[in-house]
Amino acid sequence: MQSQDNRDSAPPRWAVKLLRRIIDASLFDDIYGDLYELYQERKTLLGTRRAGHLFIIDVLASIRNYQLRRKKYYSSGNSMAMIHNYFKSTFRNIVKNKTYSVLNIMGLALGIAACLFILQYVSYERSYDKFHANHPDLYRVLYKVYRNGELNIDCAAAVPRVGPFMKEKMPQVIDYARVYPMGGVVTYGDIQYREDRMHMTDPSFLQMFTFPLVKGDPASALIDPNKVVISESVARKYFGNEDPLGKILEVDGEHQVEVSGVAMDVPDNSHFKFDFLISYETLNNQTRNDDGSASSETAWGWYDFNTYVLLQPGSDPAVFDKQFEEFLYEERGEDFEEYNFKAEFPLQPITDIHLYSNLLQESEPEEQGDGQAVSFLTIIAFFILLIAWINYVNLSTARSIERAREVGVRKTLGATPRQLVYQFLTESLVLNLIALLIALGIVVIGIQSFNQLTASSLDLAFLSDPFFWLVILAVLIIGSIISGLYPAFVLSSFKPVSVFSGQLSMGTSGNGMRRALVVFQFAASVTLIASTIIVYQQLAHMRNIDLGFDMTETLVVEGPAVFGIDSLFASTSKSFKHELLQHPGISSVTSASNVPGDEIFWTNGIKREEEPDDQFTTIYNVGVDYEYFPTYDIDIIAGRNYLESHSTDTGSLVLNEAAIKMLGFPSADEAIDQRVTFWGRPKSIIGVVDNYNQMSAKTQVAPIAFPLATRAARFYTIKMDGEDYQSAFNSAQSTYEAFFPGNPFDYFFLDDFFNRQYENDRTFSRVFILFAIFAILVACLGLFGLSSFTVLKRSKEIGIRKVLGAGVSSIVQLLSREFIMLIIVANLVAWPVTYFLMSRWLENYATRITPGVSVFIISGVLVLVIAMLTVSQKIISTALTNPVEAIRDE
Amino acid sequence: MKGKYLGEFEELVLLVVASLSGEAYAVAVKNEIFKIANRKVNISAVHSALYRLEDKGFLSSDFGAATAVRGGKKKRLFEVTSAGFETLKRMKSVKENLWSQIPQLSFQTL
Repeated sequence: MQSQDNRDSAPPRWAVKLLRRIIDASLFDDIYGDLYELYQERKTLLGTRRAGHLFIIDVLASIRNYQLRRKKYYSSGNSMAMIHNYFKSTFRNIVKNKTYSVLNIMGLALGIAACLFILQYVSYERSYDKFHANHPDLYRVLYKVYRNGELNIDCAAAVPRVGPFMKEKMPQVIDYARVYPMGGVVTYGDIQYREDRMHMTDPSFLQMFTFPLVKGDPASALIDPNKVVISESVARKYFGNEDPLGKILEVDGEHQVEVSGVAMDVPDNSHFKFDFLISYETLNNQTRNDDGSASSETAWGWYDFNTYVLLQPGSDPAVFDKQFEEFLYEERGEDFEEYNFKAEFPLQPITDIHLYSNLLQESEPEEQGDGQAVSFLTIIAFFILLIAWINYVNLSTARSIERAREVGVRKTLGATPRQLVYQFLTESLVLNLIALLIALGIVVIGIQSFNQLTASSLDLAFLSDPFFWLVILAVLIIGSIISGLYPAFVLSSFKPVSVFSGQLSMGTSGNGMRRALVVFQFAASVTLIASTIIVYQQLAHMRNIDLGFDMTETLVVEGPAVFGIDSLFASTSKSFKHELLQHPGISSVTSASNVPGDEIFWTNGIKREEEPDDQFTTIYNVGVDYEYFPTYDIDIIAGRNYLESHSTDTGSLVLNEAAIKMLGFPSADEAIDQRVTFWGRPKSIIGVVDNYNQMSAKTQVAPIAFPLATRAARFYTIKMDGEDYQSAFNSAQSTYEAFFPGNPFDYFFLDDFFNRQYENDRTFSRVFILFAIFAILVACLGLFGLSSFTVLKRSKEIGIRKVLGAGVSSIVQLLSREFIMLIIVANLVAWPVTYFLMSRWLENYATRITPGVSVFIISGVLVLVIAMLTVSQKIISTALTNPVEAIRDE
Repeated sequence: MKGKYLGEFEELVLLVVASLSGEAYAVAVKNEIFKIANRKVNISAVHSALYRLEDKGFLSSDFGAATAVRGGKKKRLFEVTSAGFETLKRMKSVKENLWSQIPQLSFQTL
């Protein structure tokens, strides 16, 4: 018994160890003493086992004293001092190696700035139509017509009947609004302008959409006929400081409308823009039939009405489309059967319109954005940021050898790996923060130039957006961690002994990783450059492509909207053209319903005469006069043009090649003198014109009929000789004003007008180029830093080589080889990626280039040259250094 | 010093330390509490109270002798500081005041 007691005279060892962990070291002695005393006392009273158990219980109960006196030594004292020290050593490091710090910070700042610019641009593009309070439940009704199973019409404007019909049949529909676009000359006193953003719309429009009125009552402003709501800027234009309410405006010299409201100007990020909203009842009065109904309420075939519906919150548009199809068949099924076609009215969320819709009759066709381009840019933004972070990682690890001694000393003096990781993370946090501040500065200063370059209208409002700051915070934190973590772990893993004994071979740590990252950076740069070249080539291709017509030195004047006596118009128009030709500087004049580059809204049914009625297909119409084809220098590939001497030409028709193909004629020559039914009347084909690009090189050439319509003078095209340009222009203006008084002389030059369609593509390419430059710049900063450190760590080797007789050129070769290899690998990675991405982008265009091998080689060589220029300065200066400088200090 | 107020157990410990005059260390306090108040408390609770009272400035401590029964560790002997006595007196007078305001009850119990 006694011997056993002696053997077990101490409490269980593990419990003592546990107690040592629980209790702060400064208190351990006296607390352990107390517990030990109790143990001894209990041992004699209760026996060893029981005393042991109680000792364990006491130890466990002591967990409550874990905090006792601990705070003072750790949380408050130690870590505050350490954090202070982290910042101190960070700033000392930044100041100590200025080149490195500047490279690092500038790289990060440029990367973040580029990223912020793109994010601004992208978020603006994505913000379209989101300002409507109802935007999640607002849809546009599209119009799709299938004939023989083929999509024949794919249009953003629907028919007037469908809106009310949806509201009658579908319980989900809260309300609908139709918008009928028009344009005209507006007169108030002696103020007169031609206005394009003029629409006729339902009274519900102002309630469904968030277009607040500054004057007038949104609920009633558009109920009565001949009422108009105007925008604030229009109100200023016509009325100055007068109160616009109740004033009468004259439209096209015939309609009088009374101003019943003033709306705030439409925000830029709206897919639909208006200056004038005229009450829908006005249109109904114009289209009234004998029985009192109005075509603009009942028509199922007139598709000029952008129709919007507001659904009950949370309604599913897919379900809606399905249910509506049944109602539509009930109503329209018979017609579908009889005329062998099928129509659909699918819903499109209004927030998708700007980026993901490119249909006929978009409200603002030139403004339509490109969702794919926006996604591309988002990816680019991310890549630039990634490249900047990679720079940081590369530079930090490459420099690790310099920091190794510092790490060694810190570790010897008791720094734990965790503290070192914190230290390096603090460094990356501080550098990222400085870079972020500089980036914000760049954005604030550069936003104006960026707007000019991209033709966008971003402002600094984002600075007050909490979401923006959330993104900034995320960039800062993620950036610090991504860029700081790897160097932190590499650096903190150094063993002090190997650092001091010089066993740590120079900079080998993370070599493979570093190479991989450089390859990635340059692959991204090559991809961006090659893509930029391809975008550029495609745009040049579209501009230089033979459009099939001549648009140089071509002045287009808009035809008169106000003309007193209708029956006199044809002869006045004719003598106007004749008068213009008297000027020696004007070589020819033509009037037509459209000019190239202008979207055609006028369509009609056509079929070959011998075919049954169900074979009518839709064809675009351009009403022309005798001079249209010669003025534009459009090739007539078969037959002839209309001739004034042939009085029978009113029963003739000229078509384009696409129309001939659509009608199923084997060739243009064989189509001549064949008969078709057009406008419900038989016509014989007298001529076929070349498939010139009437609309845009982006899209396929559509089938077009060119009926002879000398009265369809929406545009006068005036071809100038170029010699006496100014006087020809003046003469055109004075002649116009003499012939068509009361009409503003509105004109444009056709090449500007036509190329305006490519404005978005050009903006896109400019943005692309800008950010390609950003990316390369950032990558080069990184490469410069990296090469200087690589060269630095090999300076002794180079010194010895030189002493032993190596020439400058062989040393340059030796040092460049590695970089050249890396860039070649980067090229091999980048080429297939670029090819894949750009092929997808090019699919958007009807006529497109095939990216040639040269593009890839050029971009590869370009990156190689830029990279070599970047590294060569350091390499050559090292190669030229006196070897003594390098070797003497050991 | 924060927390001029004492909990019930803290007050008890403080009084016990005062009564043990010079011989107060954790084990002795624990035994004394059992003897006087018939309360079984865990030694860790006593530690907790003693060190907190010291942090509050009501107790001061010094090392006593190391003994074999303590595994060669010294005792930490506690003494009540003048601030501790002040507080004890104040609490006593607060209670006496209160007692005097409920005469019937004090008659009955006394």
